[in-house]
Amino acid sequence: MARITAGVGSSHVPLLGVASDFGKDADDYFGPIFKGFEWTRAWEKSEKPDVVILVYNDHASAFDMKIIPTFAIGCGERYKPADEGWGPRKVPEVEGHPDLAWHIAQSLILDEFDMTIINEMDVDHGLTVPLSMMFGKPEAWPTRVIPLAVNVVTYPPPSGNRCWALGEAIARAVASFEEDLNVQIWGTGGMSHQLQGPRAGLINKEWDNRFLDSLIGESDAARYIPHIEYLRETGSEGIEMVMWLIMRGALGKRTHMLHRHYHVPCSNTAIGHVVLRPDNGEGYDMTGSEAERADAA
Amino acid sequence: MSGPRDIHAYLAEFEDIPGTRVFTAKRARQGYNLNQCAMSLMKDENRERFRADESAYLDAWNLTPEQKDALLKRDYNRLLDLGGNVYFLAKVFSTDGQSFAQAVSTMTDMNFEDYTKMMVAGGRSPEGNRSIKEGR
Repeated sequence: MARITAGVGSSHVPLLGVASDFGKDADDYFGPIFKGFEWTRAWEKSEKPDVVILVYNDHASAFDMKIIPTFAIGCGERYKPADEGWGPRKVPEVEGHPDLAWHIAQSLILDEFDMTIINEMDVDHGLTVPLSMMFGKPEAWPTRVIPLAVNVVTYPPPSGNRCWALGEAIARAVASFEEDLNVQIWGTGGMSHQLQGPRAGLINKEWDNRFLDSLIGESDAARYIPHIEYLRETGSEGIEMVMWLIMRGALGKRTHMLHRHYHVPCSNTAIGHVVLRPDNGEGYDMTGSEAERADAA
Repeated sequence: MSGPRDIHAYLAEFEDIPGTRVFTAKRARQGYNLNQCAMSLMKDENRERFRADESAYLDAWNLTPEQKDALLKRDYNRLLDLGGNVYFLAKVFSTDGQSFAQAVSTMTDMNFEDYTKMMVAGGRSPEGNRSIKEGR
């Protein structure tokens, strides 16, 4: 049986991709950001996920104004890095997992989530930057990826509650897949940032950290945060954080935090990430990697 | 269900956020040609044609005269008012060889140097920037 063994929430700022691709990841500006991901990279190496369900938003790359799917799932074999106006990132192609993706898509539709199915698309920084942050610069990405794209650009995006419920439905879908697979789910985007208008540059450290707190443990308060609160408190692009709630919803009633990191700024944006384990009576450590690391330490 | 059910009340609140244009359906309609035009700059050959004669390039996209003028002037706040969305306008930033932060700073009352300093010092505070009506 496939199971979701961990969740990761992470920013996906494009400039991090540039820093990684051009070897600036240890300089004064980017060093503290990349350092915050060191723990997570070591952890991912020992976790060895078979598949990552990667929740992200497309930034006018694969989708333009012609088609705006609220929730879209990638069921293709592979995805190329998108040319976002300065040539595609020189990172490996992303290998999909069509069997699991189609299984999730079918299950979600029967579960009353009317997904858009995508068989061919390029993936932009929203998807490839988190891969770089978690895995560094391998020849090939060490996991298969199921892209799950959410519209957070044209209003209204889905509610936090709907995102959370979609996460719950994804967990049910994964649990009914017969093959033994170690599956992670990542929610990306955020944290506070505003890229437009005279209020551009808004950052709300207190709110961001309260949001991180709210993903840990048993509270489900975050699913009820209305759009207007994200807009007022975290800037117009802070709304991307609803995507983290798909990840959180998929982890079940209770979570346990393994790691968190927060840093301001990266370009216009507050960088945050959190690593969570579902904690619903199955035991925290589903892959044995926490015990392995404790032995090594 | 956590979302607002009254679409009018939902949209009205967006007008109360200082210095912000939320990309509503109304703006998406108004800016459709503008955003698709910006999107066309994803292709290298289009970027070249645009650079060679911006005005002629824009004429093929059925923009309003205001949209065309604002785009030629790179007046991004006005472009937002005319239905532009920042992720689409970003194709113009990269065509111009401008970083996202550089272009974004032109929408504020700061130059790029001061904007960068503000970001490094922790960004713009939400204090006083949440609501026009309530002044908080």
